Amino acid sequence: MNLKLLLREPLLQFVAIGVVLFVVLTWGGTPPDPASRVIKVGGSERQKIAESWTLTMGRAPTDAELDQAVDAYVREEVLYREALRLGLDEGDAVVRRRLVSKMDLSASLAAETVEPTEEMLRAYLETNADRYVGQTAANPEVTFEQALFSSERAARNALGRGGTPGEATSLPALIKASPMRDVEARFGQQFADGLRGLSPSREWQGPLVSGFGWHLVRLTSRNAVPPDFEALRSVLANDWRTEQIAARKQRAYELLASAYRIER
Amino acid sequence: MAMHKAWITLGCVGVLATGLLACSESEQKVSAEKAGDGSNTIELAEFPERPYWGDTHLHTDNSVDAFGFGTRLGPEEALRFARGEEVIATTGAKTQLARPLDFLVIADHSDALGATRQLYDAPRWYINWILRDETILRWYDMMHESPEQSARAIGELIAAAASGDIPEAFANDEGADARTEDIWNTQLSILDRYNEPGVFSAIAGYEWTAMPDGNNLHRVVMFRDGSDKTRQTFPFPGIDTEAPQLWEYMRAYEKDTGGRVLAIPHNGNLSNGLMFQMTMEDGSPMTAEYAALRAWAEPVIEVTQIKGDGETHPLLSPNDEMAGFGVLGWEKGNLDLSQKTEPGMYAGSYARSALKRGLTLEQQLGVNPYAFGMIGSTDSHTSLATGDEDNFWGKHTGNEQSYTDRSMKVQNLGTREGRFGWHYLAGGYAAAWARGNTRAEIFDAFARREVYATTGPRMTVRVFGGHGFTSADWDGDWVRKGYSEGVPMGGELDDTGTAPSFMISVLKDPDGANLDRVQVIKGWLDASGEMQEQIYNVAWGDANTRQIIDGKLAPVGDTVNREDASYTNTIGAAELRTTWTDPNYRAGQRAFYYVRVLEIPTPRWTLFDAVRFGVTLSEEAMADAVAQERAYTSPIWLKPRS
Repeated sequence: MNLKLLLREPLLQFVAIGVVLFVVLTWGGTPPDPASRVIKVGGSERQKIAESWTLTMGRAPTDAELDQAVDAYVREEVLYREALRLGLDEGDAVVRRRLVSKMDLSASLAAETVEPTEEMLRAYLETNADRYVGQTAANPEVTFEQALFSSERAARNALGRGGTPGEATSLPALIKASPMRDVEARFGQQFADGLRGLSPSREWQGPLVSGFGWHLVRLTSRNAVPPDFEALRSVLANDWRTEQIAARKQRAYELLASAYRIER
Repeated sequence: MAMHKAWITLGCVGVLATGLLACSESEQKVSAEKAGDGSNTIELAEFPERPYWGDTHLHTDNSVDAFGFGTRLGPEEALRFARGEEVIATTGAKTQLARPLDFLVIADHSDALGATRQLYDAPRWYINWILRDETILRWYDMMHESPEQSARAIGELIAAAASGDIPEAFANDEGADARTEDIWNTQLSILDRYNEPGVFSAIAGYEWTAMPDGNNLHRVVMFRDGSDKTRQTFPFPGIDTEAPQLWEYMRAYEKDTGGRVLAIPHNGNLSNGLMFQMTMEDGSPMTAEYAALRAWAEPVIEVTQIKGDGETHPLLSPNDEMAGFGVLGWEKGNLDLSQKTEPGMYAGSYARSALKRGLTLEQQLGVNPYAFGMIGSTDSHTSLATGDEDNFWGKHTGNEQSYTDRSMKVQNLGTREGRFGWHYLAGGYAAAWARGNTRAEIFDAFARREVYATTGPRMTVRVFGGHGFTSADWDGDWVRKGYSEGVPMGGELDDTGTAPSFMISVLKDPDGANLDRVQVIKGWLDASGEMQEQIYNVAWGDANTRQIIDGKLAPVGDTVNREDASYTNTIGAAELRTTWTDPNYRAGQRAFYYVRVLEIPTPRWTLFDAVRFGVTLSEEAMADAVAQERAYTSPIWLKPRS
């Protein structure tokens, strides 16, 4: 990773900004005081301005560009302090929204480039076993025959005769070792729910209702594959990452919120 | 006070340090199976067994306009949503697709990729004192002022791009290449992580966004390959380039990487006749070389999406009483409404007339530049690939569901009047007849045009063309017969001197509305070389009570309750199929045949909004609040034997 890329790394940017802020606010003396008429542009301020320039442009400024940016900074600082002196920051919805979204975004950036280790993912699977067991249980491989009827009575009559034949249809008569997800895509939710309620058997069962009519079904097998770490790995990593981002935002917020007493 | 702030800052640094530790292993690790094109990863069916459903045209917060319109969801959320996960929309509500999609192409604008986010995040002093551009500063302030002002700023930006008045700093943005490369590579990694052969295909692409004078010539560029190949290329800019340059770029990509790529034109309905011209871009006569390159690069067009439906216009198809779906509002002018549309322009804007023009050009040049298949997609700018009427999340974040009066709001881009929220459609989907769900199989279905468009519902439409198909074929293995003795949708038939016959099978959306009718739409060149079209009703529901009188099939009826936005499947049919032989076949004619399927009338998103949010629709909007959703298949062409 070259320096340019490194400088565009959001995490690094964030850390850099954080460190600068921390140093400035803790040891750097006073926070912006609207009453103060002194604007200091020393080495650390110039460095900060140069960093900010670099973040925006993707490269370091030339001396001339830095001088120009420092002038801009001074000018902005004057106006900023004047604005503070006039109390323009208070009760301004735009300022509020801008600051809030900036903080939220900063918290999420850090997690986006993170790659979890195998141990982390195994632990994640263990913690969320119920969810993944449920997901795989809801999507077993099924093998079944089906016959379609345009009325419930016709279906029941056929069941008495031993199942078939059904009416002519382009729906497949035999579905072989197909995940329930595919069955649901082709036959619809109502049918899939009905099929989940049946136990495998050599006999014709039903009728199950669908958007197409009434189906007799001979469900010969249903194999739910238990959740397997390797098979789930990428799903786990994606889910883990999504949760991390949400958790990070929340943690960042809670850290900040803990410094406040909230009266409701 | 100062100490208090210092603690807060320390807290932030603490959070960051945690992030840094977890971040030590930053290389993305994805298995070769997921990172490739999916070849040899799953067992494929002998023939395509089911259509796979997808959206090839979704924008995320990396798109210059989507971010400005307020979207804060990125590719990761887009992929999760398309796969069926619950996602929190930008405006705050939880949302989920009723049924997952099988594939997704994220198609962010290549121009100014990520630019509005970078602009938004920049310090104001930078814009004010370094860039020194009043327009950009104004947009910057509008973006920060409110969502409404931000949307307005983006409207202005699109209008500026359309008229070529983009501010210098935006057009010659020196950070653009690095930023685009960064976003493209990050996106390819995310796609690989969500790509799962057999379950979900996360397909690489982008949108090439040329719009001279506001005339929409946009294409979605779609790749077959995994990141090993797509990392070797770079989204091609739409500003200051023309379509033939895009095709050359595509050809170079294939040559350099051994990969495959295609382009999907969309919104010809907003091109003021420029999308499907009889000439080349510069107005000179079309050459065979140009026609061949275009036919190679663009096997499929996106015929229906949120910004209207481009199958045909009532003025082009006066004998088609079902013409004009999704035309209102969009027919008035080009993309930003900077130029009105004259009726003479329609023929170069709509798909059916373009297919007919293709026959004429083929007769002249020996190559048909407009031999395209058809798909639908969303063009959603919310990262949410929603195509269902009862779950419409808007064209962009400025008209997500939280804006409950969106249907009656003026929704024009820029500041000109003319289009309202209710003119938007809920968006369509693409169906691909593939042998399995991998990047390569889905792409190949597009390349051979074995795909079709729907305006959102998921009806299963299968068509085979051949010679001598009969109704008895339904009793046997008709799919095998269709493939072995004929061609599927998108294919070409030799003119053997006898009338072509077609096996057409349509199943309703299993969770949706019944079918009204199935039609074959034929276009041909008559003996004097004139372009002709004819609609044949070939199968319909309630056939015992509905007849064709004076060439028009009796309407199916209407069960929609306007008070509660409901309908019943008490009319129409769950399944329609037929074998149909062209009764007006003439030997030696150049012709195409495509199938159009209509559902029974159902509520549009506007009616759901009216009921859910208590919005009163205008008389005009109410008259359009119920519609017959539809599917358009890719054509089958009848070719004279050379």
